[in-house]
Amino acid sequence: MTPPPRDHRRLVPAYLATTGRGRPSRNTLDRLTVLLAPADPATRDLRPEQRRLLQLLQPGPLSLAETAAHLRLPLSVVRVMVADLVDAGLLAARAPVPDAELPERQILEKVLDGLRTLKSSR
Amino acid sequence: MTETPVALIVFLTAGTVAAVVLALLFVLARKDLSRLRRHSGAVETQLHGATRQNADLGARLRAVEEEFRHLAQNRIPDLATSLRHRNVPVRGPLGSGTLTPEIDRSISAVLGQVSEEVVKERQRVDFAAQAAMRGSTTTIQALLYQLQSLLQRMQEKYEDPLVAEDLLSADFLNEQALRRIQSTAVVCGAWPGLTRENSHLADIVVGAMSRLSGYERVQVTNQLRDPVGVVARAVEPVAITLTELIANALHYSHPDLPVVVTIQQGNRGVSVIIDDAGVGMHSDELERARRMISGEETVLMTDLGDPPRIGFAAIGQLVQQYGFSTHLEASPYGGVRAIVHVPGEPLLTLLDEEEKPMSAMAPAPPERASLPGRGGTDGLPLTAASALLDGPDADAVPDELPRRRRRRPVPSDSGTADAATPERTGRTGPEDGGSPTSASRSGSPSPSVSTSRSTGTTPDAAPSRSAPPTSPEESADIWAAFQQGTASGRAAAGIEDGLGAGPAPVSGLGSGRGSSAAGSDDSRTRETGGGEAPGDGASPDAEHIEHRTSEGNPPA
Repeated sequence: MTPPPRDHRRLVPAYLATTGRGRPSRNTLDRLTVLLAPADPATRDLRPEQRRLLQLLQPGPLSLAETAAHLRLPLSVVRVMVADLVDAGLLAARAPVPDAELPERQILEKVLDGLRTLKSSR
Repeated sequence: MTETPVALIVFLTAGTVAAVVLALLFVLARKDLSRLRRHSGAVETQLHGATRQNADLGARLRAVEEEFRHLAQNRIPDLATSLRHRNVPVRGPLGSGTLTPEIDRSISAVLGQVSEEVVKERQRVDFAAQAAMRGSTTTIQALLYQLQSLLQRMQEKYEDPLVAEDLLSADFLNEQALRRIQSTAVVCGAWPGLTRENSHLADIVVGAMSRLSGYERVQVTNQLRDPVGVVARAVEPVAITLTELIANALHYSHPDLPVVVTIQQGNRGVSVIIDDAGVGMHSDELERARRMISGEETVLMTDLGDPPRIGFAAIGQLVQQYGFSTHLEASPYGGVRAIVHVPGEPLLTLLDEEEKPMSAMAPAPPERASLPGRGGTDGLPLTAASALLDGPDADAVPDELPRRRRRRPVPSDSGTADAATPERTGRTGPEDGGSPTSASRSGSPSPSVSTSRSTGTTPDAAPSRSAPPTSPEESADIWAAFQQGTASGRAAAGIEDGLGAGPAPVSGLGSGRGSSAAGSDDSRTRETGGGEAPGDGASPDAEHIEHRTSEGNPPA
């Protein structure tokens, strides 16, 4: 009875993170939504995965997609978790900057030019 | 006259002779009679004895007949029943001396042989059934694992909330089916069907509970001091055992009651304690369960009942094969307490949490759960860990633990840590500044980040920690450092793009965040636009941006 080669099969399934829920309580969360956690979250009554998420955001904000990758969970599940935390007031979600609101390319180029001039003029 | 006496004499003589003869005859007859009388007495006694003996024999014959009837009607059925139900007694012979010892012996030999043959035949049939079950469960199990992989891929792939929720439900149903198939297969003598990697014990506990409906009621507490994992070959067996024990706890307690699972670290291994506050078990149930989970008896499918109760039998098989142990007792909560003890020597290992992080759903140990300023954890005794692995008498040499790579040897006092790892502090600089794409971030909230920050704090790292959104000053710092780094890199690469020589070369991209960059810019600001600067003490960086942009607008 030779065991097969090692299988990297997951041990803990994703549905455990949300007790099977896949529908977030808010539909405003994009994969580029930036998540910000308060500096010292009250982690007492939280579930382990929620605590892990808040800790992950301690060094700084991350996008939803990055958070999901770090937690190694499907995006849909993390979205539900984030929606719960935002509802509980433990997490701030900032919508991604829409394309239309980004500074124009010409302005950025001008700024770059200016910066370079600054360097060269020194 | 002479004639008469002669005649008289003759007659007298004849008479006398006759009398004598008669007397003799009489005597003889008397003698004969008495002899005959004696004889008849003896014969009579003999006859009497014979009659009595005859009656005795009759009674004995009846007793023997009764004995054999008892054998056919009671003892053999008893034997048959006792072969099915071990607690049914087999009745003995009716009387003790009825049968000769020889016959007694042959009868018990016959009974023994019959029972032996019946047991053998039953085992043969049972093993054949087990083999058939094993064959089909193995196939089904493999298919369910494929389905699991498929569902997992789909969960990654489809983001639509409705689809996602259905996929999660399907995954859960699949896990439950897998659990049933797997424990059945194990009872039928199959191996668990899956070899995993070395895994964190907390992951195994959480994974085990995820296979059961009602897992929301399970409360897991992790009290491990060290990142203890189970070696690959025992991961799935331990998981199956925990699953079945938690299933038992969930099944026999009220749907509102929690099931409390505690993971504890001892000197010679780790224990997982499962408590429920349910209905509990009678002493004979407990006894039977203990017998089954000890794995000391051969499990027959016919012993499992209908519907078959395979959980404990599966545990018994695994305990016997893999060398961990299980214990059942009455719980102080009123229900049942089950303890799984995994010995450190062959079955545990220490895992590197960076290489193999715990899953997000596994509860972290209490001391690691708290974030910055956790100082004491890194100083946790290696000796305790090595004692766990090597047994109590092994000497604790750190070399014995090649896998245990703490992020870095952090001395407990922050001063030396600061001196020892300056480059580390430098590298975390941009991350502090709020750049969201930091590659050094690990999956778990890595304590290294927090320790390096808390220990190697530069004065300007403090505000960024408390306020994730960067302030304009910090942004200025970062971009100044960035530009300097770029310029110096280009200068080093010999790229001539009209920028001229950069300032004094800065060692790296992030390290310019420190005082050198700020200082050089500072002096320049005072030269060019000193009048506007209200003061250079508090926040001179705020003006940097303004000056730079104001200088940038008119092309030089």
